[in-house]
Amino acid sequence: MSLITLEQVTKRYINGADCVTALQEMSLCVDEGTFLGIMGPSGSGKSTLLSVLGGLTSPTSGSVNIDGIDVYWLSAEKQADFRREYLGFIFQSHNLIPYLNALENVMLPLVVTKFSTAEKRKRANAMLDRVGMSDRMLHLPQQLSGGEQERVALARSLVNNPPLLLADEPTGSLDSTTSKQVMNLLSELHQDGQTVIMVTHNRENLEWFDRTIYLRDGLIEKDTDVVPGTLSRAM
Amino acid sequence: MRLEHIVLHNLRRRKGRAIFLVVGLLIGVATVVTLLSLTDALGQLAQQEIENFGANIIITPHSDQLALSYGGIQLGGVSLVAREIKQSSLANIDAIPNRRNVATIAPKVLGAVDVDGQRVMMMGVDPSAEFKIKRWWSIAGRPVQQGRELVVGDEIARRFNLDMGDTLEIESQEYTVVGLLAKTGSQDDQLMIAPLPVAQAVLGKQGMVSMVEIAALCHDCPVDDMVSQLQQVLPGVDVQAVQQVVKTRMHALGQFRLFAWGVAVTVVIIGALLVFVTMMGAISERTREIGIFRAIGYRRRHVLHMVLMEAAVVSALAGVLGYLTGVAATLAALPLLDGGKAAWQWNPTRAVAAVIAAVCVGLIASLQPALRASRLEPSEALRAL
Repeated sequence: MSLITLEQVTKRYINGADCVTALQEMSLCVDEGTFLGIMGPSGSGKSTLLSVLGGLTSPTSGSVNIDGIDVYWLSAEKQADFRREYLGFIFQSHNLIPYLNALENVMLPLVVTKFSTAEKRKRANAMLDRVGMSDRMLHLPQQLSGGEQERVALARSLVNNPPLLLADEPTGSLDSTTSKQVMNLLSELHQDGQTVIMVTHNRENLEWFDRTIYLRDGLIEKDTDVVPGTLSRAM
Repeated sequence: MRLEHIVLHNLRRRKGRAIFLVVGLLIGVATVVTLLSLTDALGQLAQQEIENFGANIIITPHSDQLALSYGGIQLGGVSLVAREIKQSSLANIDAIPNRRNVATIAPKVLGAVDVDGQRVMMMGVDPSAEFKIKRWWSIAGRPVQQGRELVVGDEIARRFNLDMGDTLEIESQEYTVVGLLAKTGSQDDQLMIAPLPVAQAVLGKQGMVSMVEIAALCHDCPVDDMVSQLQQVLPGVDVQAVQQVVKTRMHALGQFRLFAWGVAVTVVIIGALLVFVTMMGAISERTREIGIFRAIGYRRRHVLHMVLMEAAVVSALAGVLGYLTGVAATLAALPLLDGGKAAWQWNPTRAVAAVIAAVCVGLIASLQPALRASRLEPSEALRAL
C-alpha cells in the first residue's frame, strides 16, 4: 500500500532573471515500510525532493499525497500540524538546539502537544534509551560527539511516532564506525515497520536500502523498483 | 517542558544580548520615572508653599471707585471713604461649600494713629492667623499676643528709634514693643502691628475689620469657585483672588512637566528602537533555529508566542529594575533641587505603570520581528534540508 504518492511534481526556483528547475514533472509512489535511498550528484534535486516530501517546500505544480492527505492543500498551520504528527526529520548537521540538553531536545516536538510534562519526559526518555543515549541525556549538544548528536537527532525525529522518517545525509559528517551505528539504528527501525526515506552520497549505504532512486537534473534516472527500460516521467 | 522553558533557556544562553536589552530599556524607564517623580515632588512642594505662604484670596469692603495707587504711590485728589466689614459677618465663611479648603482666615483692621505728632499706620491682627500666613516675616522678639503690645516695622523702628521692650504712647496709652519686624521692602516696614481688639479700640472701629486675607488650600479646588462662593455669603464686599504668584509658579511647573514628558516620550521611542533593532538582529541570528521549530511542527503562532514572551520577560525585568533605579535617582536628585525641601512620595500607580509601559513598549517594538520570525518558511530557514 502506497504511503506516499507524488504526481507530476515540478519545482522551480526563480532568482531574479534566473530560473532553476530542481524537479521536473516527477511522479513517485513509496509503499509503507520501505527503506528508500535517494542518490544522485549535487544539484540533482535530492534535497528538494526531501523538502517537498516533508511539507517544507511547496511544489510549483503537481501534488504530494501522504497517507491520503494532499499536503499542499493544507493551510500553513495545518501543514505544521501535519509535520508534527506524520513526519520525523533528521537533518544533515543534526540541528539540535544548542541551549537545550539531549533530553530537552528530544522533547521539543512534544512541547506543542497536549501530553503532560511527565508523559513528554517518559516518551523522550524511552526514545533516548532506544538510541542508547539515556546515560547522556543531561548533556548539552556541544558536550556530545557527532555520532551521539546524530542519535539524539534520531530520537527527536521519532519521539512523536511518525509514520514517515526523512533523513538528509545523516551519516555525511560521521566516521565509518559511527556511520554504521546510525545505519544499524535506521535499519532496526525499518525492520520494525518504519518507512524511512534517506538522501545519501555514500554508495556504501546502498546495502541498507530495499529501494533506491537515482536523480539527475531533477528527473528520476534510475529506480531499483522499476524494471529497466520502463521508467517514465509520468507513472 | 513548555514554550516558556525554551524562552528562559534561550535568554540564559544569550545573556549578553538579554543584558543589553534590559539595560537599554532600564535607562529609558529610569529616566521617565525620575523626571516624572521629580516633577511631582516639585509640584507638591510648590503647592505646599502656595498654601502655606501668604493669602491667595483678599476680601475688602466694596468700592465703586477705581484704585488710584500703584506700588505705594498714591495719586492726589482721591476721596478716601473708609468703609469697613462687620467682623461678625465673617462667620458666614463657614457656610461656603468649599469651607474645608479654607486654611486660614486673617482679618485685620487698619487706621492711622498719632505718634509724637506723626501719622502712623496701625494694623490690628488676629496674631494666630496673621503670623501663620506671613511666614516670610522675620521677627526679632515675639509676635503680639494680647493687650497693648506692638510689633513694629523696620522703618517705624528706625524713625522712632525703637528697640525691644521700649514703650510708646499712642492716644494717651502706653504700648510695649515686643517684636521688631525685619526689613521686608514692602509697606509692612511702615506698620505698627497690634492685637485686633486693641487696634479696633484705639481706632474706634469696634466689631469692624478693614480687610480679610484668606489662605485657601486649592490643590483640588479652583480658586475662582471659592471667590464666587465667598462673594455670595458676604454681600457688600469685594473678593479677589491673588493669582499672579500662583499662576507664575504653576506656569513654570507646567513648562517643566511638559519638558519632562517630552524627554520621556523621546526616551521611550529610543528604547523601542533599541528593542526593535536588537530583536531583528536576534531573529536573523536564530533563523536556522526557527526553521527547526517550524520543521518539527511548531505553528507560526508558537514562534510568535516565543519571541513575544522573550520580549515580555526582558521588558518586565527592565521595568522593575528601571523603576527602582528611577526612584534611587529621584532620591539622589531631590536634595539638590529647590533647597532640598521637596520629598519623594511612594506612588504605587507609577510603579505598576512603569512595568506595564516597559512591557508594552517591548512587545510593540518586538511585534514586527516576531511576525517576521513566524512567517519564515521552514525551507528558507533550513537550507540544509
